[in-house]
Amino acid sequence: MKNIHGESFEIRLEEENSTVVFKGALRLCGTEDYAPILDMLKETLINPTAPIVLDLRQLDFLNSSGITMLSRFVMEARGHEGIDIQVLASEAVPWHARSLKNLQRLMPTLTIRLS
Amino acid sequence: MTISEILSNYGERAGECEYLTLAFSPSSAPLRSRWRNNGLSADFLADYVTTFLPTKDGVPALEARQNQLKHAITYIANELLENAMKYHQTDVEIPIRIHLELASDHITVSVSNGISVLQAGRYQAFVEHLKEGDVEDLLLKQQEESARSSESAISSLGLLTMISDYDAQLDWRFDIHPTQPGSMTVTTSAVLPLENVSGASA
Repeated sequence: MKNIHGESFEIRLEEENSTVVFKGALRLCGTEDYAPILDMLKETLINPTAPIVLDLRQLDFLNSSGITMLSRFVMEARGHEGIDIQVLASEAVPWHARSLKNLQRLMPTLTIRLS
Repeated sequence: MTISEILSNYGERAGECEYLTLAFSPSSAPLRSRWRNNGLSADFLADYVTTFLPTKDGVPALEARQNQLKHAITYIANELLENAMKYHQTDVEIPIRIHLELASDHITVSVSNGISVLQAGRYQAFVEHLKEGDVEDLLLKQQEESARSSESAISSLGLLTMISDYDAQLDWRFDIHPTQPGSMTVTTSAVLPLENVSGASA
C-alpha cells in the first residue's frame, strides 16, 4: 500500500485491488506538484485488476490543476487496451456531479457511481 | 439584467449590498508559501456568502442548497486567485484584489492583478476565442491540450469549468496602468445568478 499526504489531503493506492482512495481537499500548485499523484495513478495501469477504481467519495475539493491530473490519467488509460475505470463519487460533495462528467467525455466507457 | 449592466455599476453600490474586498501584496512572499492563502481566502469568502445569503420569504435555503452555493464560490474564488497569483507581474505597483459582492439575485466574484502588455494580449486573444466558441467543445479541447503540460491550458480550463459546471457568466476588463505604461491591470469577474442555485434565490 502506498500513500501520499499533505496538510489537507491523503491519497492511498491499494495495489491488490487497483484502487486509489482520495480524501480531503487538493489544491496543489500546477502540473509539477501533481506529478507524484499522477505517477501513483499510472501504477494501476501496469497490472490492473478490472476495473481500476478511483474512490473520490471523500475528496471534498479539487482545483482545476487537479481536474487536469485526472484528465491526464484518463487519457493515458485510453491508450491501454481493455482498461475499465470506475469512479466512486458522492452526492453530498457538490463538485462530483458537476465536474466528473467531463472525464466521461474523454473516455465514454468510464463509469461514475454516485451514491 | 445582463452581465455588462451588472458590472457597469459594480463596486459603486456601497450601502446597497453586502461586499467584501481582500488585497494581497504578492511580492511580499514567494508564490509557493502564498499558495495556501488562496484556499483559505476562498473558503472565507464562501463562508461569508452563506451567512448573508438571501432567503425566500425569510426562509433560509436548505442546507444542501447552501452547500452547493458555498462550493461554487469556493471553487470560483480559488481558481481566480490561483490565476492571479500565477500571472501577476510583481513589478506592477498594484496589489492583487479579490472583491465579492452579494446582491439579491446574483453574486459577483472579481479578481484583479497586474500583467505585462504582452501577457494581456495573449489573455485578450483567449477571451475573444472563448466568447465566440462553444464552451463544451472548448472544455474538451483544453482538457486534451492540458495533458501536454501547458500551464496556460490549465488556467483556461479553470475559467471554462466555471462557465460549464457552475453556470457562471464571465467578463473581463483590461486597463493601462496609470503610471507604468508597459503594464496593465486585468480584472476577471464571475457572476453567479442566484436563480441557478435552486432555493437560494431571493
